Amino acid sequence: MAHQAHAYHMVDPSPWPLTGAVAALLMTSGLAMWFHYNTTTLMILGTILLLLTMYQWWRDIVREGTYQGHHTPPVQKGLRYGMILFITSEVFFFLGFFWAFFHSSLAPTPEIGGCWPPTGITPLDPFGVPLLNTAVLLASGVTVTWAHHSIMEGERKQAIQSLALTILLGGYFTFLQAMEYYEAPFTIADSVYGSTFFVATGFHGLHVIIGTTFLAVCLLRQINYHFTVEHHFGFEAAAWYWHFVDVVWLFLYISIYWWGS
Amino acid sequence: MFRQIQALQVLARRSIGSSAMRQSNKVPNKQKMFQEDNGMPIHLKGGSSDALLYRGTMVLTVLETFCVEFACSPRVCEQQRRANRRDIFSFRVKKELVTSSTSW
Repeated sequence: MAHQAHAYHMVDPSPWPLTGAVAALLMTSGLAMWFHYNTTTLMILGTILLLLTMYQWWRDIVREGTYQGHHTPPVQKGLRYGMILFITSEVFFFLGFFWAFFHSSLAPTPEIGGCWPPTGITPLDPFGVPLLNTAVLLASGVTVTWAHHSIMEGERKQAIQSLALTILLGGYFTFLQAMEYYEAPFTIADSVYGSTFFVATGFHGLHVIIGTTFLAVCLLRQINYHFTVEHHFGFEAAAWYWHFVDVVWLFLYISIYWWGS
Repeated sequence: MFRQIQALQVLARRSIGSSAMRQSNKVPNKQKMFQEDNGMPIHLKGGSSDALLYRGTMVLTVLETFCVEFACSPRVCEQQRRANRRDIFSFRVKKELVTSSTSW
């Protein structure tokens, strides 16, 4: 085997970018087929291929880092930059929806009654379930930090328990939010209020589900001895993402739930 | 009551932690397997299950590429549009019949 004279990772050729691109093609064209021709086959096939791609691509990255030792300090630095840039792009994604909310709520038009919330809309009580949701996510921020310190101190049992607790809290948030959606007195079709509310909180909920899944993968890896005291970037990336999801919720709560009511 | 709560806490902690704690460290074995110089790329180095999953994924990819070409073709789209119009028409006719019969 030829040995490299540098610390960087020259990856093996991989089929997953191609399969991912085909999955994206099928999901997008499938979405159009569903909207216009009432058929979901293409979209479902695309989703299956996307799940297969994600599983195998990330499995390969774990193999390259944990089993082959390719994630040297310079490579890790690149991965850190990558995760930070990705989260920054997600911040801009949410900024758009906050812009839409403030555009409509700071200068409410006569068509909606010239007031915010619009005439006829009963907003959710910000001191009810939304406040509980805030407490749940803040608590999960504490438990994920506990998990990080446990990993850094080599406390295997505590790391597993605190990480499991974080995932449970994430699941509890998702459950509570689903109940709120079901019980809400307004729908997405109820003027610009419904649109801004459900699109902003809906995308946030999707990110909570993604973050919970990321943490669950980290829990499996922690149980299987993948993380060491010095090297556990997969967990750090999941924790950064989780803190980002928490901060977005705080902005949503303050602006849409509290000020917007 | 307090002793019962304590017992429940111990049980919960044991059941959450026990199976996870009993897991043995297989990382050194995996490291040996994946660092073997056999010329296999990373996505196939794990054995026959890798090859099976890879083949299945590629078959799906090729099939789906053709699927998109077929399903999004003008002829199929027109057929689907006509079928949807038929369904909407028959629904409207049924609705008319029901409303006209109930209006008496």
